[in-house]
Amino acid sequence: MSTLAPHFRTVMVNSLPLEVLEHIFSDITSDKDRNALSLVCKSWYEAERCCRKSVFIGNCYAVSPSILIRRFPDLRSVTIKGKPHFADFDLVPEGWGAYFYPWAVSMAKSYPWLEEIRLKRMVVCDESLELISKSFKNFKVLVLQSCEGFTTDGLAAIAANCRNLRELDLGESEVEDLSGHWLSHFPDSCTSLVSLNIACLASEVSFSALERLVARSPHLRTLRLNRAVSIEKLPKLLRHASQLVEFGTGSYSADIQADVSEVFVNVSQAFSGCNQLKGLSGFWEAVPAYFPTIYPVHSKLTSLNLSYATIQIPELGKLISDCHNLQRLWVLDYIEDSGLEEIANSCKELQELRVFPSDPFAPGPNVSLTEQGLVAVSVGCPKLQSVLYFCRQMTNAALVTIARNRPNMIRFRLCILEPRTPDYLTLEPFDAGFGAIVQHCKELRRLSLSGLLTDRMFEYIGVHAKKLEMLSLAFAGDSDLGLHHVLSGCESLRKLEIRDCPFGDEALLANAAKLETMRSLWMSNCSVSFETCKLLAQKLPGLNVEVIDERGHPDTRPESCPVEKLYIYRTVSGRRFDTPGFVWIIDEDAALTPYSNGNCSLASA
Amino acid sequence: MAVVKPEMKSYIWLQTADGSIQQVEEEVAMFCPMICREVLQTGMGSSKNYAISLPQRVNPAILGLILDYCRFHQVPGRSNKERKTFDEKFIRLDTKKLCELTSAADSLQLRPLVDLTSRALARMIEGKTPEEIRETFHLPDDLTEEEKLEPLRNMTDDPRIRLLNRLYARKRKELKEREKLKNVEVEEEQHVDERSVDDLLSFINGADEGKLETYLTSYIYCAELLYFLHEPDCPTSSCLNGDTGNVPSPSKPSELQDSAYVKFSPKLDFDDGDIDDELDPAMKEEIDREVEDFARRLNSVWPERMQEILSLGQERRPVSLSVNGNGSLKRYTGLDGR
Repeated sequence: MSTLAPHFRTVMVNSLPLEVLEHIFSDITSDKDRNALSLVCKSWYEAERCCRKSVFIGNCYAVSPSILIRRFPDLRSVTIKGKPHFADFDLVPEGWGAYFYPWAVSMAKSYPWLEEIRLKRMVVCDESLELISKSFKNFKVLVLQSCEGFTTDGLAAIAANCRNLRELDLGESEVEDLSGHWLSHFPDSCTSLVSLNIACLASEVSFSALERLVARSPHLRTLRLNRAVSIEKLPKLLRHASQLVEFGTGSYSADIQADVSEVFVNVSQAFSGCNQLKGLSGFWEAVPAYFPTIYPVHSKLTSLNLSYATIQIPELGKLISDCHNLQRLWVLDYIEDSGLEEIANSCKELQELRVFPSDPFAPGPNVSLTEQGLVAVSVGCPKLQSVLYFCRQMTNAALVTIARNRPNMIRFRLCILEPRTPDYLTLEPFDAGFGAIVQHCKELRRLSLSGLLTDRMFEYIGVHAKKLEMLSLAFAGDSDLGLHHVLSGCESLRKLEIRDCPFGDEALLANAAKLETMRSLWMSNCSVSFETCKLLAQKLPGLNVEVIDERGHPDTRPESCPVEKLYIYRTVSGRRFDTPGFVWIIDEDAALTPYSNGNCSLASA
Repeated sequence: MAVVKPEMKSYIWLQTADGSIQQVEEEVAMFCPMICREVLQTGMGSSKNYAISLPQRVNPAILGLILDYCRFHQVPGRSNKERKTFDEKFIRLDTKKLCELTSAADSLQLRPLVDLTSRALARMIEGKTPEEIRETFHLPDDLTEEEKLEPLRNMTDDPRIRLLNRLYARKRKELKEREKLKNVEVEEEQHVDERSVDDLLSFINGADEGKLETYLTSYIYCAELLYFLHEPDCPTSSCLNGDTGNVPSPSKPSELQDSAYVKFSPKLDFDDGDIDDELDPAMKEEIDREVEDFARRLNSVWPERMQEILSLGQERRPVSLSVNGNGSLKRYTGLDGR
């Protein structure tokens, strides 16, 4: 071979042609990796953005539709989250924001090939749904998790116009039920459905339309009915959908007219025809008589959600413990310690446990559920990594046991119902207990604390919880030091939500820069003054500092007065313009304004 | 190459960019679609003088590798397992070679090999930090700190641009509000930024304080600035129809600052010719139309505004003159009802 010509050079990856680079990137789909790609160098940034197909936006106000569209010209899938998590507890006043319409309008014009939209805690109007149904010819997936603002008319538009719809999931949204006939708008030619979740709808949907829809959807894998579908109707549906993998029943209670044993037999038989069933949910008002109908499928179940089964079922624990393959269990505290102990003995595959309170407002315990149940499961189930547990009493010893047995814990949310409850045996705060949790569970990503806690607890968190991404606090801590420990110590912290804690100005100001590394901070009923809010806004132009105060303009109170609610989040799209009257977004130039004639310096709507 | 009598085996002649020529068994070479096409369409490759010129990205060493691949895979009888095993061993190369191979295979349109090497490269990229990726692939660290944060952040840092965005957004809202009055109201009421347009204008004007014509002209200049703020590839109509996001930002911030400064002077006419010439003519036309339309709409509410300004002339306080974000924005509580 002759020697290489001098002009010839080796081809490095940054001189790979764009199509080749895009081809390599097409194999890389995780958001984290895509973000890393885009930060490597200019040419990779360009290549990455041109071929990015899917984007996750954790805070709808962190970026604007136009920025999104300009950067990513060819998206097929968009996921957007709106209101902060504490909206679930009614802490975010109605009208705060998170409107989807501007996104719908922009995307309708720029992404004709968009296939998937997933929203969480956003306000979605019927117009948006209509726009979606008409603008995206290949639209396939619509997930509306905990959204609101739309009616069944909007759903009718989706049903009627989305020819290739695969997934319609209404999550736990609040839907204004105008008519159950929206389901009939699915044309006879629509046979593409894979997943349908209408569990949140209050009123009856047309059952015949539903039956026909299910019958002509051979690919249907997930079907979650609403409460209005009574148990007697289930066999009719299941007959057409024996390929279901996830099924949510409707109401599971006895109708006075029904022949209980006949219903029992029919439903059991229907279930026995479903060979692929792995997940069950629904069970509104499930009565003991009907519960064993799940026996034909229970041993294969990996997921069971009984959080709506509001009637106490005897031997529930025993029944569930027969589900040896169970990985995920959501249940009411009717399960009691005894039930959890049985589950701990048999369900060795359990990864996620959620125990909800049957009567959170009862003055005292109405069931026998204590810390023992949680300890039993933590000790007995080696794969347990995600816990949400509501209870009325707890001890440090229990928490330490849990921590020692489950160092693989990733999500730990403990809600002791009465604020500031101490260890009921020693009457001490839970510093030692939660301290053990953060110390032993090194992979912990999400933590919710409750009970009596001092600043010492937060010191432990700051020192040990290095992978913690989300922290929820209520009625905890003694002083600013607590907040300071968290902000200065938790390196991976992305979301911090706090209510009713004595945290105030100093910790925030001392750790102001930290706020720019996080997605958001929520503080309600704490001790952050208006003056501090202005200082933060001035120091950190990359943040939106929102003061939410229904008492009226912050200027009508002294600057040192604490604000009602504070929501700080980083953004690249500047302040938003859709704020209601009780939200004030502080401009960074506002901090230096001298006041006179009562004119305020805030930008507000 | 096997030594066989020429008449028993056919060869294809290939020439790489460095000038060297080699002959390759026909069935092996024809496994590459690009070579296959050349042979069939042009008849080249039959002799040394008529060697097929391979794309520049194919150097002799890499060609050797590619031919090894082809030689193996073109044999029809092989099982999937055999092919898979071969592939797994084949891609055990250093990053540089893998890149060259991907590039070369792509130019020869040898899709299976492109897929194979691409996937290998993807595996090498996954899970790494940007710094690690740069090291592995010897890439330059040429994004600025600001760009790393969010490349477009620069655009919204300029307070003038931000103010213009607000002005723009508010105007859009007003137009939308008026439209909505005709139709049934949308469920989500998007609230208007009640801050007086005049406040924004007075800030924008900076040195010119409170002259009426200045307000008028700067309002029109704001429309012109929309022109600057359009990007050639961004659809503009979405912005006028209810998108409450920011106006798309210009691609040349420094130029914009300069030209924006220049244009803020009390002259009623401006020369279109001075404005960004690099816009594609069709785009320019569309933008012209939009600016016109926008200006028309602005001007239609202007007489009203003039009244308000006239009646409030006494109450106005001189505003702070700095333009780097430390000025104040005041609200006229009487004007906008909040």
